Amino acid sequence: MARQAFYDVIPNKVIESEKLRRGIAWVNKEISTPENRLILGATALMSQPFIDGHNKSVDENTRKVSVCRTIAKIVAGTFTGYFIRKGCIKAIDKWSKLPTSVNKAGQKIKLNRLNTLFSPSNAISDLSDAFMQYKNALGTIVALGVMTITNFLIDAPLTKYLTNKFVAASGGLKHDNSK
Amino acid sequence: MTILNNMADLASQKFMTFKNYLYKNYGESPGKMLVHTGVLGWILSSAAQVFAIVINDKIPAKEKMFLIPQEFADAAVNILSFYVVTNSFTSVGNKLVKSGKLLTPKLKKYVDEKQIKDIGKITTDISSGMTGEVRDEFMKFKGGVSIIFSTLGSILSCNIITPLLRNQYAAKKQKEIMAMNEKKDAPQKPDTQKTLQKPNDFVYKPLSMSDYIKYSGSNMRI
Repeated sequence: MARQAFYDVIPNKVIESEKLRRGIAWVNKEISTPENRLILGATALMSQPFIDGHNKSVDENTRKVSVCRTIAKIVAGTFTGYFIRKGCIKAIDKWSKLPTSVNKAGQKIKLNRLNTLFSPSNAISDLSDAFMQYKNALGTIVALGVMTITNFLIDAPLTKYLTNKFVAASGGLKHDNSK
Repeated sequence: MTILNNMADLASQKFMTFKNYLYKNYGESPGKMLVHTGVLGWILSSAAQVFAIVINDKIPAKEKMFLIPQEFADAAVNILSFYVVTNSFTSVGNKLVKSGKLLTPKLKKYVDEKQIKDIGKITTDISSGMTGEVRDEFMKFKGGVSIIFSTLGSILSCNIITPLLRNQYAAKKQKEIMAMNEKKDAPQKPDTQKTLQKPNDFVYKPLSMSDYIKYSGSNMRI
C-alpha cells in the first residue's frame, strides 16, 4: 500500500519532446558500465572532497591529506575502471560472434572456436540490444576480475603517488608530526 | 583421458549455461546489470582488501584481529548502501515504465488501443502480450530510463551516503580507541591524546593520517 501511495504521488507523463526521447534512447545504447564509472568518478570529484574537507572529527592536516587522498583515489580508480572495463568489453565483443555477424566490408564472418568463445547459444542476432547488453555484462564481469588484481598493481601505487603530489601542490602539511 | 574429456565437456556445458543465463537476465535489463555488477565490484574489492591484510606479514596478528572485522564492516556499509539505494532507484525507474506512468507517444497509443486499465498501479505490466515494433520501443525506452535511474542511485549511494557513513564510522572508531588508550594509560599522562601504532606501544601525538586511513576504510572502488 505504501509503495502504491508513493507511485500515486508521481503524475502520469507522456514524453512529447523528441529530443528527450532521443536522449533516453542514446543512454540505452551508449551508456554502460565504463561510462557509468566515468559519471561516478566525475560526480565523486564534486562531492567526496567536499565531504572529507568538512569532516570536523579529524585535525587539519589529516583533513588536508584525506581530501588529497580522496581525489587521488577517485582519479586512479576512474582511470583504471574506465579503461579496463572498456578493454574487456571490446575483447568480449571480438570473441562473441554469431552466425549473423558481418565484418566492416559487410561479409559474413567465418566462425571458429576463438571468435565464438563467449557467444551464448540463445542469442539470435548480433545487432539486437539484448546481445549488446549481454556483451557489456560479460565484459564487465571479466573486468571486475582483472581489476581485483590491478587494484593493487596500479590503483594503490598511483593513489599514493598522486596523494603525495596533491599534498605538495597544496602547500604541504603544517605540522609534520603525524608521519 | 575419458575422464578429462568428460570434465572438459561438463565445464563447457556449465560455461554455456552461464553465458545463456547472462544473456537472458541482463540482455533486456541493463539497469539491473549495472546494479549487480556494481555489487560484485564492491564484493571483489572488499575481498581483495581483506586478503591483502591476511597475507601481510608486517601486520601483527593482534592488529589483524581488529582490521579484518573492520574491513568486513566497511564492506557491509559499502555493499548495503549501494545495493539498497541503487536497486531501489532502478526498481522505481522500471516500474514507472512498466506500469505505464511514464510513456512515449507510441506506447501511449498502444495502451489506449489495447484499453489497458489500471495505468500507474504497481501490479500493471503494459508489456504483457506486447510484440513487434512496439515491444522494441518499450524495451529501448525501459532500458534507457532504467540506466538513468540506476546511475542516479549509484551517484547518491557511492558519492554521498557512503562517504558520510564511512566518516562517521571512522570518527567513532577513533574515539573508541582513544578512550580505551587514555583509560589504560591514565595514571601516567592523563591529559594527552594517544594513538595506537603497534600493539601495546602507545605514542603520544595528535590523531594522524595513518589512524584516519585505518578507520576510514581503505576500500578502492573498482
